[in-house]
Amino acid sequence: MYRYDEFDAAFVSERVAQFSDQVRRRISGELTEDQFRPLRLMNGLYLQLHAYMLRVAVPYGTLSSRQMRMLAHIARKYDRGYGHFTTRQNIQFNWPKLRDVPEILADLASVEMHAIQTSGNCIRNVTTDQFAGAAADEIIDPRPIAEIIRQWSSLHPEFTFLPRKFKIAITGSPNDRAAVKFHDIGLMAQTNGAGQVGWAVYVGGGLGRTPMIGKQINGFVPHEHLLAYLESILRVYNRYGRRDNKYKARIKILVHEEGLETIKAQVEEEFSHVRGGILTLPQTELDRIDAYFSPPAFIDSGVVSIDVEREKILDPAFGRFLVNNTFSHARQGYTSVTVSLKPIGGAPGDATAEQMDAVADIAERFSFDELRVSHEQNLVLPHVALSELRAVYQALAEAGLAEANAGEITDTITCPGLDFCALANARSIPIAQDISRRFADPERQREIGKLKIKISGCINACGHHHVGHIGILGVEKKGTELYQITVGGDGTEDAAVGKILGPGFVADEVPDAIERLVDAYIAQRESAEEPFIAAYRRLGDAPFKEALYGNG
Amino acid sequence: MAMADPVPSQGPDKLRALGIVALNGMFDEMDAEGVLRQAAEDILPADLALVSSFGADSAVLLHIVSRVDPSLPVYFLETGKHFAETLEYVEQLKAELGLTNVIAVVPDPADLARFDPTGELWETDPDSCCHIRKTEPLEKVLSGYGGWVTGRKRFQTAERGVLPHFELTSDNRIKVNPLAYYTHDDIEAYKHRYGLPDHPLYHQGYKSIGCAPCTSAVAEGEDPRAGRWRGLDKRECGIHFDFNGQIAPTRKQAGKTKEMRLFKNGGFMADPWTDWVEALDPAEASYTHVPLDVFVAHREAFIASPHPLGLRVDPGHRVEDVEADMARFSSVAISFPAFGDGRGFSSARLVRERFGFQGEVRAVGDILADQVPFLRRCGIDAFVVANPATRQALENDAFAEVSLYYQPVGTRAEVPVGTRPFLRRALADA
Repeated sequence: MYRYDEFDAAFVSERVAQFSDQVRRRISGELTEDQFRPLRLMNGLYLQLHAYMLRVAVPYGTLSSRQMRMLAHIARKYDRGYGHFTTRQNIQFNWPKLRDVPEILADLASVEMHAIQTSGNCIRNVTTDQFAGAAADEIIDPRPIAEIIRQWSSLHPEFTFLPRKFKIAITGSPNDRAAVKFHDIGLMAQTNGAGQVGWAVYVGGGLGRTPMIGKQINGFVPHEHLLAYLESILRVYNRYGRRDNKYKARIKILVHEEGLETIKAQVEEEFSHVRGGILTLPQTELDRIDAYFSPPAFIDSGVVSIDVEREKILDPAFGRFLVNNTFSHARQGYTSVTVSLKPIGGAPGDATAEQMDAVADIAERFSFDELRVSHEQNLVLPHVALSELRAVYQALAEAGLAEANAGEITDTITCPGLDFCALANARSIPIAQDISRRFADPERQREIGKLKIKISGCINACGHHHVGHIGILGVEKKGTELYQITVGGDGTEDAAVGKILGPGFVADEVPDAIERLVDAYIAQRESAEEPFIAAYRRLGDAPFKEALYGNG
Repeated sequence: MAMADPVPSQGPDKLRALGIVALNGMFDEMDAEGVLRQAAEDILPADLALVSSFGADSAVLLHIVSRVDPSLPVYFLETGKHFAETLEYVEQLKAELGLTNVIAVVPDPADLARFDPTGELWETDPDSCCHIRKTEPLEKVLSGYGGWVTGRKRFQTAERGVLPHFELTSDNRIKVNPLAYYTHDDIEAYKHRYGLPDHPLYHQGYKSIGCAPCTSAVAEGEDPRAGRWRGLDKRECGIHFDFNGQIAPTRKQAGKTKEMRLFKNGGFMADPWTDWVEALDPAEASYTHVPLDVFVAHREAFIASPHPLGLRVDPGHRVEDVEADMARFSSVAISFPAFGDGRGFSSARLVRERFGFQGEVRAVGDILADQVPFLRRCGIDAFVVANPATRQALENDAFAEVSLYYQPVGTRAEVPVGTRPFLRRALADA
């Protein structure tokens, strides 16, 4: 993975010193909260319902064991013993004290981490496929380009006061696990006619109150011109994006209102000026960054496959883990393991300091020191030898991290909701917990198969409810929390926004409503091989609407 | 000793600032020769020049120069508007003091042809006249030196009341004022002691002598500089604007004295430019930033105007629309009505990088201190800011700027760091 050189280290430590001084001035009263606000936001420090919240960037979701141990240390020393992994592949600490924040940032800097640009109207942390650099279906490892974009966008002098925040996601695989079409810019690896790998660029996707699927603005941008092309899009957005209404300020609205062709023409005009200029990426630089991401020293253990059916009989729990929590690796004899942070009845995405330490140890022993954070709020051990899979499973089980539900109905994405978030209208974690308990039985989950439930506590859609196969949106109506249920969303390459089928439900009714949807699916699916989303596409709204609201 | 090993013309350096403080404590108030010798021999060897008006009391400083180093470059602003007596006096002093390196600095003929074709600009707009005949030519010359010597004295104007021997300018050069503590009587005594010749007009009542049209005699007992720009609220020509942020107001603006609102070259100064006034006749506009849309609407009139013009770019203005006319503007003002509106950052880069505009590009409006480093990277080199915290940060140069940049921009002197293609740092720190 990427390692800071002396320059990166100097950059981050200067930034820490700068913010430490600002915090000191705030505590001494020299800065008012109004003056401090834009400064703290640029350093990832929010003021939440109960306390400050610090959001730490995990660039493209990649962590080393050392970094994970530092997150554990921070959780233990400065917080209440846990952290929350987010749908942006970041981690949030919910209870830091302002006076401790400079020390936290210094601790982070000591392991090459920071909180720069995790908030504010700037280019945010670049996100990617949690299996990047490991997945069997990958055209190219997207992390080197993600790192190059991270560097280019760090404290960019022109793009730090954009109309609104700006998110870039990148995938190296045609099977999109990074929801790139729901980002301001999505990049998808593409091979052109000459066999070169470059990037299809999507623009104007997003969730929030106006969900939009990104539109392809360029079918193939080669590596060398990618930064110039991104700068062209950002400049058009910075100049012409709406600033009169923060709810209409994202680039998706600009693309929607002006039309893709207009925006494309403006971007191409801008690109014609900057193309081939100072942002041209030399092959030597790409090679240099690539080298940081070269594959680890894989060993041939002789084990190239596991008889899953046999393991299921010997140990059903391990068998289930093999089915759900492993992912095909590019290297024979290896697999990527998903560490679920969705224990039955738990708060999705939360990990205790002890669990973080345990995962760090396991990654060090069994995964070449590498960890990933997925946008689905799980952790990933990207490179586990099949011969060691059983040992990994046992180690995870000892740490309470062997929940074998990856991709199943209890593996929900959930935002922090009204329990923490100042923006939320409704609680979301308790809803996730209720659903999780309702469907706790592994056999029931197996029967249901792959089904993504995503829950947001407000219209801002941090829980990605629009792209859940089943989405749940908490709203506040006349003083009570109501939950709107959507069906048919999809965050992958087959992007779709879920549909609302009728009125909302109060919290207590939600598990029953979900159960009715699930039962309707099971009753009408062609076979157990037809997942929920496929059945929905085939059947349409009607049976699901009836399941929710009856035949009236 | 820190001050004995200066690195001229380089970036801000607190050690050098401290060195200045120490230097100012080293010399007896009246030891003008010691001050100049230290400057010429130790601090800025071969990197120091002097500007002289060859006015009423220039002889004292020039005499000190002749004792320290007769070959020190002495620049004389040959504005083309001097008294004949002044020009004679130049030759007389050269000969008598043995000065071997007196150099006349003349205004740019193109500027004269453009802004003062009739030679009467002094009458309608003395600030502009000083600007093209003194400030601009001098800037060109002095930018090549790590420091320069002035003949300013504390007694001359209230604004000069705290003048030290050595000043560090914001662009980290040194101004040396050997005569800072000399009173009018000290000057007279010095002239008398060494038998220095007076300016031929001195005994006709001219106690402070500049260009002929803007100098008049003063009455007995009157402030010696009262004869400069008489009748106008103007006391400095603009070449000393950098002094400690304390500068003379230039002229009356609608009955109100202009504040020191412009921050440029490291200090606050009176702003030679005025804000655009609605419905101003294009022919009347002078030293004003014309809003881009107004300029486009009355392009012919503005192009035909002989006056110096600036361009104001508001959020939403398309700078492309005036790309072909950029040479018409002496200054560009990018407005920031609200700090969160970052459109001006793009406008600034386009003006600087794409159009190659070389003149002043100022940011005007609601600007946070923490935006200043970003703005500078986008090509902004001057600020007119209301926000008190930002003004204070500008004044103290208190910006917690990260000194490494992850992305190249083409707007100011930045150099690659190491072998990485996109990493940059400011040239001054390299």
